[in-house]
Amino acid sequence: MWRRYGDALYTLLTLAVFGFETISLGVLSLSFLLGKASGIASTPIEAILLSVVISSASALALLGLYLLSYHFISAMRDRHHADQIDTWTEWWVGLALAGPDEPVEDRRRRKLPRVAVDSVLSLLEAVKGEEGDRLKEALAGHSVDRQFLKRVHTGHLTARLDAIEGLGKARLPQALDALLTLFAHAKPVVRRMAARAAAGTLAVMPPEPRPNGPHERFIRAIRHADLQPGVVQEALLLLETRAGPILRELLADPDLPDTLRWVALETSGRLGLADMADQVAASSTHPDPELRAATFRALRRLGAVPTEAEAQLLRAVEDEVDFVRVQAAHAAAFLAADTAIPALEPRLEDPSWWVRRAAASSMARLGEVGVAAVRRAAENHPEQAAREMAVQILLEADELTSAAARLATGVA
Amino acid sequence: MQATRRLTDARILVVDDERVNLVLLERILDQDGYRNVKSVTDPSEAVALFDQVEPDLVLLDLHMPKLDGFAVMKLLEDRISRDTFLPILILTADIRPEIKRRALAAGAKDFVTKPFDRTEVLLRIQNLLETRFLHMRVRHDPVPEGQAT
Repeated sequence: MWRRYGDALYTLLTLAVFGFETISLGVLSLSFLLGKASGIASTPIEAILLSVVISSASALALLGLYLLSYHFISAMRDRHHADQIDTWTEWWVGLALAGPDEPVEDRRRRKLPRVAVDSVLSLLEAVKGEEGDRLKEALAGHSVDRQFLKRVHTGHLTARLDAIEGLGKARLPQALDALLTLFAHAKPVVRRMAARAAAGTLAVMPPEPRPNGPHERFIRAIRHADLQPGVVQEALLLLETRAGPILRELLADPDLPDTLRWVALETSGRLGLADMADQVAASSTHPDPELRAATFRALRRLGAVPTEAEAQLLRAVEDEVDFVRVQAAHAAAFLAADTAIPALEPRLEDPSWWVRRAAASSMARLGEVGVAAVRRAAENHPEQAAREMAVQILLEADELTSAAARLATGVA
Repeated sequence: MQATRRLTDARILVVDDERVNLVLLERILDQDGYRNVKSVTDPSEAVALFDQVEPDLVLLDLHMPKLDGFAVMKLLEDRISRDTFLPILILTADIRPEIKRRALAAGAKDFVTKPFDRTEVLLRIQNLLETRFLHMRVRHDPVPEGQAT
């Protein structure tokens, strides 16, 4: 409820406040009673006042008792729950690590309590391989998978989300198709949870090279679902080692919607899939500037520019859109110095501060030749903006003292 | 003396806020013969336990509340002398390259992605411990000049 941190302090404070009030009102009530006995509370008004004070003291005492009991019972329940989790975790770990011929205490006939399911789901987030498969078998043996799959399609939204989360943690291959159908659900939160759970499940499934395998079904579901780009990206990142083949297939599709292409480019870069540089570079001449920028951002993150894409990159350094020029200038740091420097030097006088910075920064990353070119710009460039940017980059790269910087830019 | 130690004698410290993960790792290591395994769920206790155990290997979760794996590595930085090889094996569900780069820069030596495979985690532990013990042997019995191959 409202209990979170500082339980002990809160309980003591509650006890002190309510205890003080109860005692004060108790003493007051007693005084009135004694007063009545000696004729002080002789009027009806005094009698009413007396009953109000007594009832307030009783209410406070009751409330204080309730709060203390609540905290006590909560603490006991938490401890009991933690003990149960520990017991079940030990049991599940024993089951997971038991050899195939090793006897394990038989709990198969028992219906699993919630705490047992929670602990095995937590464990499945930590272990995979043979041990994970053994736990998944046990879950299926207790029909937990069927219960989750049933709840995914029926019942209250909270129960559905809970079931989807459970399936996501369990990563059960038999749940993949049910999760994929939820990509078309009316509620965005269900679609999002289903995308995460399906991606996590696909990540641990063995590849099945056939026309309608899980891999293809996942791509179809992603393509036809109304998912936010961030959700698709998160799902693609959760694919782990399965991400490469799926991203490759997405990028190879000439009819891929622009939003998905943008997501595929961003994800390829973020996952550092360097062997995908060719597929990524294929979007470098896309008519949409957002996609061109995403292409060069991804190449920069991959740290590789394929030879076939060098000409497009050099053209993009002069693109009409400034944020494309920025990303292209950054990616140019991965070209050979003698190719990159002649393309980057003119960008030191670009009208955009960001392009000037990207150009100078990339030049400084091109080894001694690049640093020398930035130094020349800092000393002799006719444009003050270019000189200042070159000085700034040299200072950041510890290639220049602040005194030399003042001399170069003419600042006293 | 250190050179004659077996891998299973190695002292291993496990830091992970999820008790489930600790129980699992402890049992996996125990099954493989490692007897000197200490673990802690509260990362703020990791440094004290590190001083007490003087481990040969640290298994460290990255994402923890209050004090994450990066902060723990920062705290351990001063305790790990530059001329020793004390490996930190990161256990993480985060596969982003930038996270790996950041952890490597902070002192991590290797990664295991969660959910992990038992065989893989044991092999990585074994490799890191072998490297540590070889490093210690070289430090205690340096190769005489002219005999290095």
